[in-house]
Amino acid sequence: MKNTIYVGNTQQFNAFLLFYIVVAAQIGVGIHGFQRVLYEDAKQDAWISLVLSFVFAHIVVTVMMKTLDMFESNDLYGIHLDIFGKYFGTTLNCIYCLYPLFAFIAIVINYIEVINTWVFPYLSPNFLCLTILIITIYAFTGGLRIIVGLCFFSFFFILWIPPILIIPLKYSDWNFLLPILDNELKDIAKGVLSMTFTIIGFEIINVIYPFVKEKDKYKRYVHLGLLFTFLLYLAILLISLTFFSGGQLSKTIWATLTLFSIIRLPFIERVEIITICVWLIIILPNLCLFMWSAYRGIIRMKVISPVKFSVFFAIIIFIANILFYKRSTINIYDKYYGRVAFFIVFIYPFILFLLAWIKKKFRKIKTAGEHNNEN
Amino acid sequence: MKIKNFIIVLICIIILTGCAESRILERISITTLLGYDLEEENKVTTTVTVRQVSPDDKSSVETQTNTEDTSFGTRIKVDLQTAKKVMAGQLRVILVGNELAKSGIEQPLQRNMMNSEISNSIYFAIADGTAKEIIEGEYEHITDIGQHVYNLIHHNVESQHSVSPTLHEIVRNDYSPFRDNAIPIIKKNDQVISIKGLALFQKSKMVGELSSTDTFYVIMLRDKFESGALELTLPGNTLSSTQDKDNKLEVGINSIRSNRSLKLVDASTIEFDINVEIKCRLVELHSNENTGEPEVTKKLEKAIAAEIEKELARVIKITQEKNSDIFGFGDVYHASVRHSGLTEEKWYEMYPNAKMNPKVKVEILRNGIFE
Repeated sequence: MKNTIYVGNTQQFNAFLLFYIVVAAQIGVGIHGFQRVLYEDAKQDAWISLVLSFVFAHIVVTVMMKTLDMFESNDLYGIHLDIFGKYFGTTLNCIYCLYPLFAFIAIVINYIEVINTWVFPYLSPNFLCLTILIITIYAFTGGLRIIVGLCFFSFFFILWIPPILIIPLKYSDWNFLLPILDNELKDIAKGVLSMTFTIIGFEIINVIYPFVKEKDKYKRYVHLGLLFTFLLYLAILLISLTFFSGGQLSKTIWATLTLFSIIRLPFIERVEIITICVWLIIILPNLCLFMWSAYRGIIRMKVISPVKFSVFFAIIIFIANILFYKRSTINIYDKYYGRVAFFIVFIYPFILFLLAWIKKKFRKIKTAGEHNNEN
Repeated sequence: MKIKNFIIVLICIIILTGCAESRILERISITTLLGYDLEEENKVTTTVTVRQVSPDDKSSVETQTNTEDTSFGTRIKVDLQTAKKVMAGQLRVILVGNELAKSGIEQPLQRNMMNSEISNSIYFAIADGTAKEIIEGEYEHITDIGQHVYNLIHHNVESQHSVSPTLHEIVRNDYSPFRDNAIPIIKKNDQVISIKGLALFQKSKMVGELSSTDTFYVIMLRDKFESGALELTLPGNTLSSTQDKDNKLEVGINSIRSNRSLKLVDASTIEFDINVEIKCRLVELHSNENTGEPEVTKKLEKAIAAEIEKELARVIKITQEKNSDIFGFGDVYHASVRHSGLTEEKWYEMYPNAKMNPKVKVEILRNGIFE
């Protein structure tokens, strides 16, 4: 097989770290306000949509990994080149490189919007964007191992959320969850669609696969990572659904943060302010992974140094940030981005798997035929 | 060299974080209490207590009043009148005047929920009369009226003498179609500020009042008791048949723990079973009977249960008359009937005719140290 990338032993990392990578890539800005979008579609059955979307995610991940296993040590970009040939493959790679870029933009503008609304209303979004970009470039140029380390590190900044959710539990009313399955299946399916923005991130394994050391047992860690995010999202969603009444939830933009604002600790009056600031550490590996994933695609077309690439990338982000500076434009962006992401993350792997499978069969017949001719 | 760089970065991080929108306590003034009153022509008067902290002097408290169309307009006006920038982050209590509550509290709620400065764990209460009266009143013993009203509500909520009125709960009930608000009423009586009772709401309009003794039963039905206290008057012949029925037997119980369950038994006629289980301690009994004996305790338990049942039925009746579903029976109905297609209007038609069967079980766990 051609286009295989050789990854030296020093660049590889252990398979269990994939758990942290998947968790870090999934948990981003979506968690701040996914309840509202979900509730608008599926009402009190929103949690069923969540369960379904994670079941779907597990299936998609299995298909992704099956595809990757067909090609020894190769990432998605290499698979493209292998299946579609040089020209069409490169075109696809170009398109696929745009996806992490859009994801990056989505995270940055949403996070800046939260900071501007909750913490510093007068701080310029451009200044905030610049700060985030500088720290991302700094982490990115450190290389993949640094990014993986960051994922590991940021995981522990998420861990404090579950225990703190006990406090809002006091105000919960479980009647709000009943009657179960009172909504049409169509609405619940719609909810699955709206979950996309929050759930995506695990597609990073498409690109990171060649760097995993133990290729025989990496699968369980990817599934474990998905399971962890699932439990965290489910806990937050169930508490939000019982904490807020329906009408209130559909008016609350960042339900998770509003949920936190009821918490009053003896030493911190407003927990959500701290949450928002700490969130920078949680989205940082997210940003780095997306930047890195775009870099892996670009490097297939043109050899470029990480520093040059990241500066170029940062300039595009900065311009995008200037364009999307209003709540209304950000909402539109999120909506369309969610749809595109749904196709790329949830639909495309199936198409790719089918094509790879056909190609493999075809190749087998061909080599078998060659064998016959030799005899 | 490395350590030197590290220290420089560390110093930068620590010092530079202070540069983003600093709010120094001595240079701002803090609102702790906010009052809204309805004025003519749909204008709203806003009254605030502003606390200023100064480094050399004692902190001072003053009040400001203004009438504008929006509360933000008032805030700008207040800013023009104070020497320091007014910040709302430490707001503790929002008071709404009686008149405004009767015409609807949706607006004051919404404007406070939109503002990210304000936490949703603050209290929301109704003022008996106008909020301005309470806030601007002259008090001999109260230095900071904002803090005082907050403490008043807070300790009563903690000891379950009053329904918890956090902004979150009020907004939640307000936006919930099948549940109404019950908000404490704050009253000024000369020099004393007290909680007078509960205001009953229909949608977001105040429709009636409950007295402060009825609050106990409201909490019993809405929530569970962790620590309650109650005084009851039982018929005189409860313990000894020699006594006349008309004689009254006063009983005091405390350390009450209760648990309630609401159940819809018949969806067509709308009949609810309300089961309340109470565990309590006897602290006062005006009788010479030996309360250590099981028979006496049993008699007493029965009599107390009957009395509480009667009171519960009475309180529910009042809310049905006012058509204000403060206990969330509508939510129970919506939760237990599939595809009910229940709307807010429909529920308001159904609620006054719903049949309620309160059943109370009392258990006296212990009495005092002297029988």
